[in-house]
Amino acid sequence: MIATKALKDAGVSAKMIPKPARVETPSNLCLMISAAVEHAAVTALRGANIELGGVVK
Amino acid sequence: MSMRFRLLGTIVGAIVLFFIISVVAARLTLNADLMDQGRTQVTNGSTAFGGYWDARKDQIRLLVAQDAVSDALRKNLQTKNVAGLQDQLSNIARTSGLSFLTVVDKNGRVVARANGSLPGTLAQNPYVQRALNGETVSSAVMVPKNELAGEGLGPQVDADVSGDSGNVGRIDTGLALVSTAPMSDQNERTLGAIYGGVLMNHFYDIVDESTHALGGQTAVTNGNVMIASTISQPDGTRLIDTQVPGFAAVRNGRPWIGSDTEAGVAYLARLDPITDDQGNVIGARWYGTPMSQIAGIIDHMTETFMLWGLLAMSLALFVSIPVVQRLANAISKRSEQVNAAAKDLGVTIVGSEVSGDHVAATRAAVERAGQILSELSGAANDPKVAELQAVNSELQGDMIVIDTLSQEMNQRLAQAVTHVTELKDVAEGLDTLVHGTNAK
Repeated sequence: MIATKALKDAGVSAKMIPKPARVETPSNLCLMISAAVEHAAVTALRGANIELGGVVK
Repeated sequence: MSMRFRLLGTIVGAIVLFFIISVVAARLTLNADLMDQGRTQVTNGSTAFGGYWDARKDQIRLLVAQDAVSDALRKNLQTKNVAGLQDQLSNIARTSGLSFLTVVDKNGRVVARANGSLPGTLAQNPYVQRALNGETVSSAVMVPKNELAGEGLGPQVDADVSGDSGNVGRIDTGLALVSTAPMSDQNERTLGAIYGGVLMNHFYDIVDESTHALGGQTAVTNGNVMIASTISQPDGTRLIDTQVPGFAAVRNGRPWIGSDTEAGVAYLARLDPITDDQGNVIGARWYGTPMSQIAGIIDHMTETFMLWGLLAMSLALFVSIPVVQRLANAISKRSEQVNAAAKDLGVTIVGSEVSGDHVAATRAAVERAGQILSELSGAANDPKVAELQAVNSELQGDMIVIDTLSQEMNQRLAQAVTHVTELKDVAEGLDTLVHGTNAK
C-alpha cells in the first residue's frame, strides 16, 4: 500500500495484482508497471525508503 | 482531586514544610546559641557581682584597719572612755555603712559598741582572737545569733524560711562580711581589737547596686536560704527568706549554672559559693537573667519566620496559580483532542470490519461468477462468453488484491484497536488528572 502510494506520488502508474504463480516471494501481492517506467519506479521506491523485493520481467 | 489543586497543594505543602523545618532548625540552633550566650552573660554578670562583693569586703577591711590606727579611738580605749568610744564607733558605723563596729580589750571583753551598750565578750570569736594576736582578718562569716543579739542585730536575722512545702523552719544565724584588726599603743603593745562588718541578712545595698549596674537579678544566700535579693514576688515585695534548691550544687565549692525558678519566674542563674577564710562554703551569690529574654527572642524569630513564610506562600501562590491554570488548561485541551481522536478511530475500526466482510462476500460472488462462466464457455463456444470470462478473470484478480489488502488492513486495525484502547485510557487519565477523580 505504501509502495502504491509512493509510486502514485511520483507519477508512476502501477497496478496491484495477486502474486503470479511463477514469482517466488512471501508476499501475496505484486505491483505491475510498464517496462518503460521501471527506472522511475525503482527510484521512487528507493526515495521513499521502501525495500524492493525484486523485479520480474 | 483535580491536578490544579494537587499542584497548588504541593507548592503550598512544600513551602509550609520548608518553613516548618526551617523554624524547627532555627529554634534549635537559636536555643543552643542563645543559651550559650546567656551562660556567658550570666557568668560575666556573676563575676561582676563577685567584684562588687569583694569590693565591699575590701572596703570593710580598709575601714576597720583605718579605725584600728585611729588616735582618737586608741586614746579612748586607753583611758577607758566608754561613752566617747561609743559615740565615735556609732558615728563611724553610720557614716561608713557598717552594721556593727565593736572594740574589745586585750582579753576580748567588749568595751564599746556602735549599737547600744550591751556588755559581753568576744573572746571566743576566732577572728577577734586572731586580731588580738596581731593579725588583721577579713572574711565572710556565719555569725551566731547570740553574738548578733549583743550587737542589736538579732531581729534583722530572725525570720521564717519558706520552701516548696511552705514554712520549713527559722533562720537564726547571720551571714556577714567582717573584718578585725588589732589596736596597739605607740609601743606596739596590744590594747585590744576592733571588730566590724556588714550583716547581709535583709541588707539590700549590694544586690541593688549590682543589679542597677549589671542588669539581671542578684541575691545572696545564707546557706541555702536567700537572705537578700532584688527578685520581686508577684505582690511586689522582695523574694527573701526562701530556700534556693541550687545551693546544694555549690556545696563542693564550685560554681553552678542552670535553670532556676524563683518567685514563679524561670531564670538562667549562676551560683558562686561564698566561703569563709577557712574555705568552708557558707552561702552563695546568686545572679540570674530571666529565661523569658531568650524565649522572647526565639518566639519573635518564630513569629517573623511564620510571617515571612505566609508572605512567601502568598507570593508563590500569586505566581503559580496562573501558571498552573495555563498548564491545566493546555493538558485539558490535549486530553479532549485525544478523546475525540480515539472516538473517531473507534468508528473507523468498526467501519473497516464491516467493509472487510463485504469485500469477502464480493470476492466469493466474483469467484462463483467465474465458475459459472467457465461452465458456460465449455457448453457454448460463444466469443462474448469468452470475453466475459476474461473480464471476470481480471475482476477476480482485483478482488483478490482488494481482499488481501482488506485482510491486511484488518490485521493492522486489530493492532490499532489495542492502541486506541490505550489512547482512551491515556485520555481518561489526563481527564482525571486535570478535572479530578469524579470529573467526566
